[in-house]
Amino acid sequence: MSRPRKIRVVINGQKVEAAVTPNQTLAEFLRYQLALTGTKEGCDTGDCGACTVLLDGKAVNSCLVLAVEVEGRNVTTIEGLSSNGALHPLQQIFIDHGTVQCGFCTPGMILGAKALLDENANPTEEDIRLGLAGNLCRCTGYVNIVKAVGAAAKFLRGGK
Amino acid sequence: MSVAYQVIGKSMPRTDARSKVLGQAQYADDLSLPRMLFVKVLRSPHPHARIRGIKTSAAQKQPGIVAVLTAKDIPGENSIGPIIKDQAILCADLVHYAGDAVALVAGETEQAVEAALERIEVDYEELPALFDPLEALEPGAPVVHEGGNIGTHVKIRRGDIETGFREAAAVVEGRFITPRVEHAYIEPEVALAAVDAQGDVSVWSSTQYTHLDREEVSRMLGLPQSRVRVRQMVTGGGFGGKLNPHAQCYAALVAWKTGRPAKVHYHRDESLIASYKAHPYVIDMKLGANRDGKLSAIDARLVGNTGAYLFQGRAVITKSGTHVSGIYYIPNIKTDAYAVYTNSVPCGAMRGYGVPQVTFALEALIDELAGKLGLDPLELRMRNALDTTLPNATGQVMPASIPVKEMLARAKASVDSMRPLLKEAAPGRKRGIGIGCSSRGIGSIRKASRSTAVVSLHPDGSATVACGHVDLGQGSDTMMAQVAAEELGLDVDRVRVITNDTAVSPDCESTSASRVTYLSGNAVRFAAAKIKTRVLDLAAREFGCAADEVKMRNGAVAHREQGLSLAALFGKHIMHIITEVAENLPATTPPDPETGQGNPAGTYNFNVHVALVEVDEATGKIEPLKYLAMGDVGKMLNPMSVEGQMHGGLMMGMGFALSEEVKIDRGVANSTFGTYLIPTTCDVPREVIVDVIEDPEPTGPFGAKGFAEGSLDPVGATMANAVSNAIGVRVTQLPMTGERVHQLLRRRGDT
Repeated sequence: MSRPRKIRVVINGQKVEAAVTPNQTLAEFLRYQLALTGTKEGCDTGDCGACTVLLDGKAVNSCLVLAVEVEGRNVTTIEGLSSNGALHPLQQIFIDHGTVQCGFCTPGMILGAKALLDENANPTEEDIRLGLAGNLCRCTGYVNIVKAVGAAAKFLRGGK
Repeated sequence: MSVAYQVIGKSMPRTDARSKVLGQAQYADDLSLPRMLFVKVLRSPHPHARIRGIKTSAAQKQPGIVAVLTAKDIPGENSIGPIIKDQAILCADLVHYAGDAVALVAGETEQAVEAALERIEVDYEELPALFDPLEALEPGAPVVHEGGNIGTHVKIRRGDIETGFREAAAVVEGRFITPRVEHAYIEPEVALAAVDAQGDVSVWSSTQYTHLDREEVSRMLGLPQSRVRVRQMVTGGGFGGKLNPHAQCYAALVAWKTGRPAKVHYHRDESLIASYKAHPYVIDMKLGANRDGKLSAIDARLVGNTGAYLFQGRAVITKSGTHVSGIYYIPNIKTDAYAVYTNSVPCGAMRGYGVPQVTFALEALIDELAGKLGLDPLELRMRNALDTTLPNATGQVMPASIPVKEMLARAKASVDSMRPLLKEAAPGRKRGIGIGCSSRGIGSIRKASRSTAVVSLHPDGSATVACGHVDLGQGSDTMMAQVAAEELGLDVDRVRVITNDTAVSPDCESTSASRVTYLSGNAVRFAAAKIKTRVLDLAAREFGCAADEVKMRNGAVAHREQGLSLAALFGKHIMHIITEVAENLPATTPPDPETGQGNPAGTYNFNVHVALVEVDEATGKIEPLKYLAMGDVGKMLNPMSVEGQMHGGLMMGMGFALSEEVKIDRGVANSTFGTYLIPTTCDVPREVIVDVIEDPEPTGPFGAKGFAEGSLDPVGATMANAVSNAIGVRVTQLPMTGERVHQLLRRRGDT
């Protein structure tokens, strides 16, 4: 068996030191070692985006990143998006637009949307569609999700 | 008459939306127990084989392995299935598809279990395998199960088709082929099980039917059902696919044999390889109409490939057969619908349940017939549409809530608005408009459906609803809270709905068949109404007035200037709670086995869709430009939820139309989301209009009826008709991949 290795990483603003095995994915590390189960696993092959987290602010499929690779880096999971129970505007707008059904894609979708808006504060509908094409949803038909991200962009720009 | 409701008809987010956007909602795989074992399944690589022997000793000796189990370790019945229990939980002698389960390994880590799986030696004798459903009907074909390859044969007989076709001025016919479709819930199958100190078994699962999980686990272990308790965790989608509790049985068997908690979670490839799919169909259909454009006869043979097991095949095939005439009145009908066995992944329930397939064929022929008769396709539909006087294929007349003609009129306006856009296609592209219409009986067709709800009113003016129809994401828990809140005069957040626990929530059958709002909505309403009657009677006595003069709101009762809190009212009568139970069993008669005639559904839901598409003639790629999804829901209880379901059904149908197809090469060949392609954000039509028609259903709660599947039913048909209209060649096979459309375009070029 491969021997565990120690990593230091900042997760949701907290310094974390942990021993991980070389073949452990970031998704497994978050879910099963740190009990940050808001990150979902839907495919293990980077196709569904349910496990999307932010790595140094960029959206990644955490099932395709090894835990050892995040040494010294910054990870944000869905648990780190709200502060003391106060929802991030994206979270509130996702609720208000009826984007939540089974909810399994929701954490990844919201983090994917956050990365998109951090990079492009004023996206077109096409930008949003392309930006979220890697986040699969089987319940909602996407229409309200795309609308919600557009509304969140407007809100975050100060447009209400 | 419009009624002023406090809660009903108002949009509200799902009651669990906040926990979901926070990542706090607990799905089955988010739960772990101390000393929990990981369980994995050894599956057959062969589509058809005899098991001559299994050697498990080498696997057993691997580090970290606690148990290796095979069929002989099952203490009770080794059979499983949502309706027909024809699959072995663990195969003992024969495997019938590549993916059938043969052994379980349980160990301390997932890695250890995976390594040990490879050390199990199974001695297989391969047997001839059958994959083609039409070959299955031929004499001399390999036999999947003793007794022949026909699992079920459903007959629909009305009038006399020979007379009908003799009267016909135009007759069209064709063969239509639809794909095997995967549900593709984003959360794969998960179950956790544990045995407590009394020897009772608990299961936590991702499921559509807790009571079936309980039934199957208790049968497998030989335990009374009262000693198995199943709790559904927040479930990441089902769409009909989480009705066969394999994972639950595997986890429970390991927990039972080892005394330790055990978890099974499928990875996506295992889910795609092993879980049942929607039936692929080969449909031969012939349709005739007389000179006035009145449909005179339909003759259809529907062959559904049920794969290795029948499961719900009989029910799916029955649904197809009974829906063969769609939204139309056809006086003469002959339909033979078959479920046939092959050695491929089994097929069962999926959103649509046999209706999208038959709708695709029928609606294509309606367009063809319109062409032959020189009629506008919408005009032909209008002339034959069902109304409150005309029977469907089962002879059932729907006395109310059948707004088909109004929907067709609206579709006409939509088509008229799209028509000028046809000319705007870019060079090398062709545009077309398509219409698709569907009808759907709500609930089970083969038998009656009953729901039971228990509603309790507490003295603090809060209420609890217990009902066994679980929420898979579609919003039914929120719907039940709304119904109880409306009836009891409470805010929705004062109502707690518990649908997910067999110890609390009565068995209502599965969450499927678009039945929950229609059945459980009214069961909850009836129980809450009984409570209200009791409270109003008590209050009337206190106030010295008639019961109908008492108002009940926000946990208090009032009459003019007199008022009492519920706590005070309950206290005066030594009551701590008022609990009432109600059942809802709509009056239905199942289809006659020889003729298919009956009144099989309490109500029907109708959908009319219109699409404008553009086809790239070089690549065959289809782009949906505009899409109108019109659905009749009786009455919207929660418009946000209705709209969300309709969007979701539409896009699931878009996958059926354009990209989704489980391919078989001995076993499932495309076992990732990189090769089994469900729609993404980029596949959504540029403009989507969801139009909800409200024509109240008298037997539904506040006039509501089911519609979750209906929103998917006509999408394949609509898109195929639009593409056929664009390219001038009839599409007869779904999905319309670029390659298939390209072939059609070449065929057009050849002729």
